[in-house]
Amino acid sequence: MTSLREQLGRFIGELRSTGIRVSVAESIDAMNAVAAAGLERARMREALAATLIKDEADRESFDDLFARFFASPARGKTRKQHPDHRGIQVSAGAGQGKPGESLRPEPKRSDESPRESGRAAGKPRKPTETETQAARESMKDARGEGALQPAFAVSAAERELGEAEEPGLEGMRIAKLREIERTPFSAYSDLEYERAQEALKPLERHFRIRLGRRLRLARRGRIDFRRTIRAGIQRGGVLAELRFRARRPRHVDLLMLADISGSVRYAAELMLELMAGARNCFRRVTGFVYIDRLAEASFEQGHLLTSPALDLYARSDFGRVLVELWENHRELLTRQTLVVILGDARNNRRPPRADLLREISRLTRGVVWLNPEEPARWGTGDSAIEQYRAAVTALYPAGNLRELERALLAAC
Amino acid sequence: MDVTPQSVAEGLKRARYITNERVETAIFLALALEKPLLIEGPAGAGKTEVAKVLAEMLGTSLVRLQCYEGLDEARALYEWNYQKQLLRMQADEAQGLRWEELSEHIFSAEYLLERPLLKAITAPHRVVLLIDEIDKADEEFEAFLLELLSDFQVSIPELGTVRAIERPIVVLTSNRARELSEALRRRCLHLFIDFPGVEQERRIIELKVPDLDARLAAEAARFVGAVRKLGLRKPPSIAETLDWTRALLQLGIKELDASAIRAALGVLLKHEDDRAKVETRASSLATRPR
Repeated sequence: MTSLREQLGRFIGELRSTGIRVSVAESIDAMNAVAAAGLERARMREALAATLIKDEADRESFDDLFARFFASPARGKTRKQHPDHRGIQVSAGAGQGKPGESLRPEPKRSDESPRESGRAAGKPRKPTETETQAARESMKDARGEGALQPAFAVSAAERELGEAEEPGLEGMRIAKLREIERTPFSAYSDLEYERAQEALKPLERHFRIRLGRRLRLARRGRIDFRRTIRAGIQRGGVLAELRFRARRPRHVDLLMLADISGSVRYAAELMLELMAGARNCFRRVTGFVYIDRLAEASFEQGHLLTSPALDLYARSDFGRVLVELWENHRELLTRQTLVVILGDARNNRRPPRADLLREISRLTRGVVWLNPEEPARWGTGDSAIEQYRAAVTALYPAGNLRELERALLAAC
Repeated sequence: MDVTPQSVAEGLKRARYITNERVETAIFLALALEKPLLIEGPAGAGKTEVAKVLAEMLGTSLVRLQCYEGLDEARALYEWNYQKQLLRMQADEAQGLRWEELSEHIFSAEYLLERPLLKAITAPHRVVLLIDEIDKADEEFEAFLLELLSDFQVSIPELGTVRAIERPIVVLTSNRARELSEALRRRCLHLFIDFPGVEQERRIIELKVPDLDARLAAEAARFVGAVRKLGLRKPPSIAETLDWTRALLQLGIKELDASAIRAALGVLLKHEDDRAKVETRASSLATRPR
């Protein structure tokens, strides 16, 4: 017989392997919660969820795993929406005859689950054969000796609601947004791009709040002695009312340079669109796009307009872009200017002109480089990012929407 | 009160809060494990209500801290009453007291303005502390809150450390205006309250608007459920549903047909484009599937 503690430990291990982060403190909480709430199945599930799942987007994976791990004695009767469940039930009942066969719906399911593909950001989407095998093994383990599970009474409420596992409206929407936020730009197609634009709206708001707040933060600055003393005159010189200096808003001009060549195009457009939404947090926002030349970019009604039009089949040359910027737009490079560059720095082995970038960095408030490429690939092949790294103020990875947003917030 | 899942369910029923097992279990755990409860969910799904009901259930008071951008410790925890201190100083000076005595006076509890957090900690009995819309506060404030939530103690430099006499029950709510930190999530139990299902909403309507015809209540619940699925800018909250059913009652509507839907839609939907969207679908939403 396996103790319940060990079973829970294994359950948490499985949960971790699906990519959900569970700390040691949380797993102790979970044990305490189960001890307090009891073993009645639905209540135990909620107790585990409350202590282990801190993000509604993870709830679906949790419910799936729970259903697999702690089988209900009501065999497959109430479970219409879990077609795979029956299969496992049967295999558990029939012993270890052919676990592989009866468990076949398993890997298929993890393919279908949108959560999983979102999680595996950057990794191949399908579980490898060894992973699948491991999952099967652990499944077998979990139900190995047949009678090792505690009997779970099905509560009246659960019977009434028939498992009631369908995620609610809002829960589903959040899960979808989450998934797209974590999808790497390199895996984007037009479909993902469209969905990302939807996800952009809350991000935009988040961004505006953050930037707006920095202006307002510490509304009450330092004490203003002159005004405090003047206010005190009314009270016979007693400084009864403190007066504070108001904070001056920052004046920042934002200058964006975005690479729109093939691989990073989606990232570039999303950045320009995101910043178009946050435009009134800056004094002036200028956007440029480039491949081998520079073109001014603007966003109108969700469409990117460039002038002059760029040759989309040209080969990237950031060195030349820097020269153009330096020669034609020097008036934009002031101490108030924050330069944000987005690109993979793949220069086709043309001169990178990092010296110019260093000069720009010296003239302006700062130069921030966002690289949508996976950090492991930086500096490989024709990537000149290592030359640029020394010339810029900061370099951030921006491989997916979430990273992009985080990097932009850090930059501004 | 002895805390068991059953007693919590009973207590919620007595406090007239209709909910499901998920919410019950989370509330029970918050009481049994004495951990803060973080509640997320769409606006108007009843997050804040949980804290109010909890206070009612336990027969204790509710201390509420409404978060907003720029909320700082002075507003949340304590502040010295500067003006009062100043008065005291002048009075003492007139009597010719020395500085040591003076400073002893002006840095005592009497001159401290207690804000919600300190009030919850120093309360002589267990209170429910509601930290509402924590996502609106700054990240810095969140970090400060972490310390408080793990130890329930505060150090005030002039007075020393203040420890909670009775640990308050803490409920935090968030609307996801921004992502909360992992550290905060780790320390809290998590509960997600979604909009209620049709059946649950019907029970809520019947409880809160008892005069409404039972059949109409069921139809109203079904209608609101369908409206929420349309992907509106602002889906109707439970409170709006209740207002709307009260409006139906006042208007003397017996049957929820297309014209009845149009009649009081402004109570349910607060955006013009949402209204237009529902109005054009009014007749199809009114027909009852059998």
